[in-house]
Amino acid sequence: MALQIINAGPPPEEIAEQIRAAIAGALPDALIDVRPQGPGHFEITVTDAAFEGLNRVKQQQLVYGAITELMAGANPPVHAVDRLECLVP
Amino acid sequence: MSLDESVRQEITDTIETNEVVLFMKGNRRSPQCGFSATVVGILDSMLETYHTVDVLSAPHIRDGIKTFSSWPTIPQLYVKGEFVGGCDIVQEMMGNGELYDALGLEPVEVVQPKITVSDVAAQALAGAAAEHGGGGRELHLSVDATFQAHLSLAPRTPADVEAIVEGGGAGMTLLLDPMSAGRADGITIDVADTPNGQAFKVDNPNAPRVQQMSVSDLKRSIDAGEAIELLDVRTPEERAIAAIPGAVLLNETEAARIEGLPRDTKLVLHCHHGGRSQQAAEQFVSLGFTQVFNVVGGIDAWSQEIDPDVPRY
Repeated sequence: MALQIINAGPPPEEIAEQIRAAIAGALPDALIDVRPQGPGHFEITVTDAAFEGLNRVKQQQLVYGAITELMAGANPPVHAVDRLECLVP
Repeated sequence: MSLDESVRQEITDTIETNEVVLFMKGNRRSPQCGFSATVVGILDSMLETYHTVDVLSAPHIRDGIKTFSSWPTIPQLYVKGEFVGGCDIVQEMMGNGELYDALGLEPVEVVQPKITVSDVAAQALAGAAAEHGGGGRELHLSVDATFQAHLSLAPRTPADVEAIVEGGGAGMTLLLDPMSAGRADGITIDVADTPNGQAFKVDNPNAPRVQQMSVSDLKRSIDAGEAIELLDVRTPEERAIAAIPGAVLLNETEAARIEGLPRDTKLVLHCHHGGRSQQAAEQFVSLGFTQVFNVVGGIDAWSQEIDPDVPRY
């Protein structure tokens, strides 16, 4: 069995805060909940009136568009968003 | 993250020149990740052809498409230049029927196919389900647009159709997606011995088969100027001795050209007596061609019945 090397990154809470800040930058009025799940994995719930009338893809694009930088590259701080919930208040 | 203008242009060109584009890991024949494989399976069940882009062999697209779509994951499906979604959304749209609309397909009428499962096959399937099932996974049969069958264990989706199972497997649950169900009526599932051990053998009477054509029908077709691809599968040495006018030697270059043609192109294959061309014809059927003909009796029959000036050998 090959040995897997895990490079310790910043603690999940710190990355979660970066995610919150990035989403807040794009959706200033949103209620944002980011829950770390495991190394690099997060669940996100965003509640914002801006989602009104948009389909699921368009809603999620607003959020993903804000955090693209945190997910790009070979070894990004955010490896996967296990669950993204977009709610209208 | 900013997107390089040349990368943006490359992606725009790709999604504008191809009606259906899947950005994925690997290619249609060998997907390199489970999510890509799932979407390929769904598209295969609905479409004969679509364009895929392997992001693993194009790292600039791998990052570029994420920014382009504001979507962080691969695979990504584009239809008519519009982003449709990733794996979970495509699955959901397959389940509720929206994907037919998105792809511009008529929703299929849901039919419950009759499928015969032999005693041995039923036992083997029950064994596999007991070993690998659980977690709500049930036995699925899919039949893709080229009539290749696949058996798998997967969770039931709302769109799934239950087959009416007959034979030794009567009473077992076998699920199909609606597109597969439309291609599956009358299928027989049995177990056969192969060089690699036992395998399931799926016989589908709906699959296109090689049709037989007499030399006189071939003559009529040529005289009428019908659009056919007449292919000679013999060796260049045999061809030097005798040839049917208009026939093209099926070498590698020619085979590659034919593989790129629409699947309803009429292919007519001949050899010396009709044996080798039958095998070659079956290959083209397995590639998804629906109009494939074998010339009965080959060039020898042609010499005897149509044109005595073509030498016999």
